[in-house]
Amino acid sequence: MSRLRRDGIGPALVVLLLLCGGGAASWFLVAPGLWGAADPNYDITRMVLYYSTLPRLATALLAGASLALSGALFQQVLRNPLADPTTLGVSAGANLALVVVSLFLPELLGASRDLVALTGSAIAAAIVLSLGARRGFSPYSLVLSGLVLSLWCGGLSAILTYLNQRYLASLFIWGAGSLAQQSWVIPLSLLWKLAGLAILCILVIRPLSLLDLGESGSTALGIRLARLRLVVIAAAVTLAALVTSAVGVIGFIGLVAPTVARLSGARRSGQLLFWSPLIGAALLFFADSVLQLVAGELGEFLPTGAVTAIFGSPLLLALLPRLKIRHRIQQSPVWERSRRWRPTTSIFIAGTALVLALIIGIVLGRNIDQGWSIVSGEFSSDILAIRIPKVVAALASGALLAVAGSILQRLTGNEMASPEVLGISAGATFGVAIALFAVAPGLLGQLTFAVIGSVTVLAIIFLGSWRSSFAPERVLLTGIALSAMVDAVVGVLSSSGDPRAALLMRWMSGSTYLIDAPIAAFEFGIAIVLIAIAFLARRWLDILPLGPLPSASLGIPLAGARLALFALAGVMTAAATLTVGPLSFVGLMGPHLAREAGLTRALPQMAGAALIGGGLMVAADFVGRTLVSPYQIPAGLVSALIGAPFLMVMMRRRT
Amino acid sequence: MLVSRRSLLQHAIAAAVVPNPLYAQAAGLRIVSLDYGLASTLLSLGLPPVGISDLADWGRWVVEPAMPRSVVDVGSSFEVNFEILIALKPDIILTTPYLDELLPKLQSVTKVVRLEIFTPDSGPILPAAIKATRRLAAELGRQTEGEEFLARSDAFFNACRQRLAAKAVPPVALVNFMDARHARIYSSPGLFHNALERIGVRNAWTKGSNYWGFETIGIEDLSAITDPDARLIAFDPVPADVFPKLAQSPLWNRLAFARPAHLSVLPPALMFGMVNEAMRFAGLLTDLLDKQA
Repeated sequence: MSRLRRDGIGPALVVLLLLCGGGAASWFLVAPGLWGAADPNYDITRMVLYYSTLPRLATALLAGASLALSGALFQQVLRNPLADPTTLGVSAGANLALVVVSLFLPELLGASRDLVALTGSAIAAAIVLSLGARRGFSPYSLVLSGLVLSLWCGGLSAILTYLNQRYLASLFIWGAGSLAQQSWVIPLSLLWKLAGLAILCILVIRPLSLLDLGESGSTALGIRLARLRLVVIAAAVTLAALVTSAVGVIGFIGLVAPTVARLSGARRSGQLLFWSPLIGAALLFFADSVLQLVAGELGEFLPTGAVTAIFGSPLLLALLPRLKIRHRIQQSPVWERSRRWRPTTSIFIAGTALVLALIIGIVLGRNIDQGWSIVSGEFSSDILAIRIPKVVAALASGALLAVAGSILQRLTGNEMASPEVLGISAGATFGVAIALFAVAPGLLGQLTFAVIGSVTVLAIIFLGSWRSSFAPERVLLTGIALSAMVDAVVGVLSSSGDPRAALLMRWMSGSTYLIDAPIAAFEFGIAIVLIAIAFLARRWLDILPLGPLPSASLGIPLAGARLALFALAGVMTAAATLTVGPLSFVGLMGPHLAREAGLTRALPQMAGAALIGGGLMVAADFVGRTLVSPYQIPAGLVSALIGAPFLMVMMRRRT
Repeated sequence: MLVSRRSLLQHAIAAAVVPNPLYAQAAGLRIVSLDYGLASTLLSLGLPPVGISDLADWGRWVVEPAMPRSVVDVGSSFEVNFEILIALKPDIILTTPYLDELLPKLQSVTKVVRLEIFTPDSGPILPAAIKATRRLAAELGRQTEGEEFLARSDAFFNACRQRLAAKAVPPVALVNFMDARHARIYSSPGLFHNALERIGVRNAWTKGSNYWGFETIGIEDLSAITDPDARLIAFDPVPADVFPKLAQSPLWNRLAFARPAHLSVLPPALMFGMVNEAMRFAGLLTDLLDKQA
């Protein structure tokens, strides 16, 4: 008992600290309404206090607690310290369901918002878990498929909204939840739903803590594992769905709160399930009251969900080195693919497909009657002058990303490594954001900042993972945290209505709209040079994955070679991100497909990846330009929408 | 004199769409407009555009005058589809300071006429729109049609004013709901505020606003309107969840506007428009107040 009490001190302190901070911040919000002469008719400050500020703070507490509880349940039952409604795609699934229903079947929404959200999140959970089950619920693959699903749902919601409103005010993948309230209806309904589920959780604490004994131990004690897991997962999914239905997606609270609980001393299941909701409530309360205080008038329109990601992701980054990950991951053997085709055949097929995509992308378009037409006649040269730069830039950036992905996968020995997943693209976008808002340079300056951004991220990954020798989960988490942060920052900037934010949005979504001939030529030149350098380094890339000893004995300067190759991948990513944004997933798909096609050695893999990546990007650009002509969908979003399900199917095939 | 708004406006549109086909053909001007207000003004000058931006949303924000079926959508005004634009072979592209980012690219296609209506120093919008109409008419060699159109609009506003003159007309507050907590409220120097002045209706929201003519407020700020007779006029489209949520909210329910018959929802009318949009608004409002008074 005394041990339990000692373990409780840390979490209690954290809760107290957050509550004090939040309380202090919210005091400034609440105080004006408490004093001053009351107007008997309609006292604005008092009305706003009673029916907007206070319900909002209550909602923050309740939503934070629900999300944290959901995250803690997921983490306990899946034995996965990274699981939470955001990383498993559950919140994003609920949100997509709400968007789809509100656009196509609005009457359903009136009937039951909660039910719609629940359906969406249940489907998302089912997809992610069924993928995870095939790989023995490895935390890594589970979270990866969850994140990919989140991204896909977020991208699809954005496109659907765009098609309906024809302009994309802002793009939030990881959270646009707003806690703004106009009555007590939402907090009160959330309260009793949360109370019901909390009682259920109390009932499962004991059996859940027996799970700590391991599978055979708990079976021996008579626990029906399958049923327990189902109940707990259902409870966690429901919690996340209810919050999403009430206030939208609020990212990372469910990941951060249990992590903080664990780090501050809560170790056993019971303790985690008890402290996580308290910490989550205090955390969101703190975040939201500080947001309201700092942002003032603007705060009403700033989604709290985006801000929690800004709060949460650096915290996660700071905690990473301390996070004890209990599960070793079976690293899938990367270089053992059966050869289906001879490398030359594969390259030939990829090359032919690329040429086909190029021809279609350049020649085919939509005309003024919305019909399809092949470019011809008096304006063909003008139209080609518009179209070719976009196609060329898409080709160059797709190829760059795919080659960068190949390099990263070889260096880290991690087949899921890619510029997008590692957050390097996010770093480049962050660099561009700083460039635009702080210095406003030309294209070359923007590229410089993008390179600085991506190389910084690479350095963080490099240093952070040095000791753990690039343990996939750590690298992956860094990437998640960084992309979430960039997404949130860009989202907040675009909510501010600054015109430069519109430009940044174009980058985020990967629109080729602004590309003209000089930019395309520049991009293409960079691609040629960098890919040639990568090809020259093929010997290093063949030998480095074999391990330090063989490399050293073959006379390769290990540290230098690694550093140079990482830097090369960083510059490639930065150059590509300038055109297609950080979301495209081509850097993951290209190398994968190349390997699937039997290209295992460095040079053929990179060449194949470049052809495939370039082709995918050209195809995505074509679809984005023509699908809803005369309107345009950003190519980066299209390729993410094609790429994400594709990736999940590939993960599913692998056993 | 009682003039039905509908008949008058229909007459105006009929006159606008086929005023003098021979002359239009002779002029043979192929015009693309990247602004709704300029596009509807073109119709009234008897020069229907060959293409406009955001045509797909015309029915959602502008509605009247109806665009002829022959008009082609050139995509969103922020991302004009240049492939379509070039294929339309425009002689003139009409644009506003709002789209200056695209100006160099547009100028490489053909002659661009840039008209300023909503700028920080343009002052009251309706007079600015009338000025811009005259400039546009001059630019296109359609001065006569321009003056005729402005005279028609003058007559229309006068007719509206007369219809309401004999009645006890309440002051009105004009809003577009953004969500259940926020609204844009329209006041001086905005287009609708000028139209209100023109037809002799008081704006219940007396505070001024930005140069576009709107201010974003919280629902609770509506309590600043103390006139017990004031009506709240909201324009479609109202987001689907707004009214159900407002019905549950004390912030709304304790406002004077929550009483029965103090809130009306009008069909869409574009407040970022020109003379036609002011006429549409004046007509809709006059019909409503005429019916209610």
